[in-house]
Amino acid sequence: MRTSVNRPPTPDAVDTQAKDLSLQDIISIKLIESGEKDRLMELLRERLVECGWKDEMKSLCRQYIKKKGRNNVTVDDLVHAITPKGRASIPDSIKAELLQRIRSFLASASL
Amino acid sequence: MSLPDDENDSMSLNSQLPAHLFGDLLDSIIIDVASECHRAARLGLDRNLELEEEEMRLSAEARAMVVDATNNGEVNGKYIVDIFGQTHPSIANDIFECMNCGQSIMAGRFAPHLEKCMGKGRKARLKARRSSRLAQNRSARGSSVSVHSQYSSTSQLSNNTPGASGEGYSNAIYEDPYTKF
Repeated sequence: MRTSVNRPPTPDAVDTQAKDLSLQDIISIKLIESGEKDRLMELLRERLVECGWKDEMKSLCRQYIKKKGRNNVTVDDLVHAITPKGRASIPDSIKAELLQRIRSFLASASL
Repeated sequence: MSLPDDENDSMSLNSQLPAHLFGDLLDSIIIDVASECHRAARLGLDRNLELEEEEMRLSAEARAMVVDATNNGEVNGKYIVDIFGQTHPSIANDIFECMNCGQSIMAGRFAPHLEKCMGKGRKARLKARRSSRLAQNRSARGSSVSVHSQYSSTSQLSNNTPGASGEGYSNAIYEDPYTKF
């Protein structure tokens, strides 16, 4: 394995974990470990299906696929094709609901 | 989290953190949707996709044919295909009775027929003038005063100024059928 020439020797694993993890990482881990992340994902998925967002995205994908040809499309292409519209067309109520739940989780987790 | 630096960071991060986490969730879901569609496309599971391709091709063809047809519709005869794939003859061929003269007329020929029948053209004017005099003599003096007044006024005018009378005449004629009913 190629290593950078100037890299210092790897310190002990215990010390690294304590210092180099940002707050964000810690929160992420807590989110996953507690199962809250899965719950949030399911909630968001459900809401997006209900409001037709998923169908809109699928139709966008189909249009893109029609344009490029069925066999010339990669997942990456599709992701880049639908991400701008996808992020912009989230209904405000759904966004607010999810943000509220995240905030309350953060509040309960930080204490 | 005990270091002051971390606390400052956490103050500013906390405002962005929920949005950041929401963005992560959203990205995962977008990837899932894209992956699903990609799979369906590659496996050809979406029958609709091919149907839509067919339809697009057909509609493009039909559109091309319409563009051609508008230029030389008569040459093609009756075979103009519209966007629904229907054909219809270029001259409408429903037959019905003219309400003015009672002849049975083909729908596509109705407008020119009406022109002659109701007196827009030169020949029709002569015909109508003749028939109006007959109508004057035939109908009793008391009945349908409106018909009389219009005919009498226009017949006087027609002797003097042919140009103006043409206009007045056609107006009278157009109103007339309605009073007949």
